[in-house]
Amino acid sequence: MSGGIARGRLAEERKAWRKNHPHGFVAKPETAPDGSVNLMVWQCIIPGKPSTDWEGGNFPLTLHFSEDYPSKPPKCKFPQGFFHPNVYPSGTVCLSILNEDSGWRPAITVKQILVGIQDLLDQPNPADPAQTDGYQLFIQEPVEYKERVRQQAKQYPPLI
Amino acid sequence: MAEFAEELEPLFDYRRIQPRNVVFLDDDESGASPKRRKISNPMVEKVVKDGKVVHVLDIEEKENEDWLPPPPKITCDASVLAENSTIKELRLKKQELASFAQSAQDVLRAMEESAKIELGKSLQPSTDAAADQPKKPLTERNKIVISIQDKDGLKQFRIYMDDKFERLFKLYADRVKLDLRTLVFCFDGEKIGPQSTPDALGMEDNDMIEVHVKSS
Repeated sequence: MSGGIARGRLAEERKAWRKNHPHGFVAKPETAPDGSVNLMVWQCIIPGKPSTDWEGGNFPLTLHFSEDYPSKPPKCKFPQGFFHPNVYPSGTVCLSILNEDSGWRPAITVKQILVGIQDLLDQPNPADPAQTDGYQLFIQEPVEYKERVRQQAKQYPPLI
Repeated sequence: MAEFAEELEPLFDYRRIQPRNVVFLDDDESGASPKRRKISNPMVEKVVKDGKVVHVLDIEEKENEDWLPPPPKITCDASVLAENSTIKELRLKKQELASFAQSAQDVLRAMEESAKIELGKSLQPSTDAAADQPKKPLTERNKIVISIQDKDGLKQFRIYMDDKFERLFKLYADRVKLDLRTLVFCFDGEKIGPQSTPDALGMEDNDMIEVHVKSS
């Protein structure tokens, strides 16, 4: 039953996304080689904000929805080893609105999640570190941190 | 003994024949039943024609006098009298309406025929001219509204599902007065080729595509 609710909500989310979404963002349910669509896993792209060190990067993010969505938030994952203070080594994003026990509300849309993560890229939260590498550079060596961010942006160039 | 036999034979014969006679009598009665049918027939005729009903009934009455008691004709007359005033009017109106409906149908038919003839006339030259041939499939092609998103917001365009995107791109470039060569159009993060169509990408009404301006 809850699975039906999750899929129904995700179908609506996708419908709304197709009609309008923030420029440069991508969010589409996974398609299997046989052409079947899996609404529970979405492949997304978050563009780095213009006039930040993240500009020019198109960062791939995968949303994993559970059968309990939207009661529970999706798990949002960058590629393994993604450089950011609030991203776990596994790539999982640590953000209050994605935490079932703090900021998540069922009314939060896919659009809001992606825009929220885009904001997080340039505004890390040092109070909630998820990896040592990114966190320590951010706190101790801002210049080196900046350089690493710019390099990472180049790793994910736009497809076009 | 012979007398006995003679007496017996006719007795047996009569018993056998008598039932046959009864059958014959039945035949006579069945001969009368068509007359009963005749009575019912004018009732049907009466429904169809008002004026002649009375005459038909009169003839029936004369015939019936020989065979049937008068009561039925009284009931018939009573029904006729009762029907004559109101139902006659209703029937006349019904007929009027029916004829009116038929005339309307005739008019419609005439209109359709004339329209068909006109269509045929207008289509014939177009089918002859090769340039006008794509007009026919036009009526069956589905249109789609596609919004194009740029930094100024959404602009909506209506194109055919099987239109090549290059037509849409040109329309957009003309509207925003930009060089088409500097524009890149994307749907779901993938570049759209100018030879592709909305059909090929499985696009739906009001789907949004993004336009990016090449920096170089």
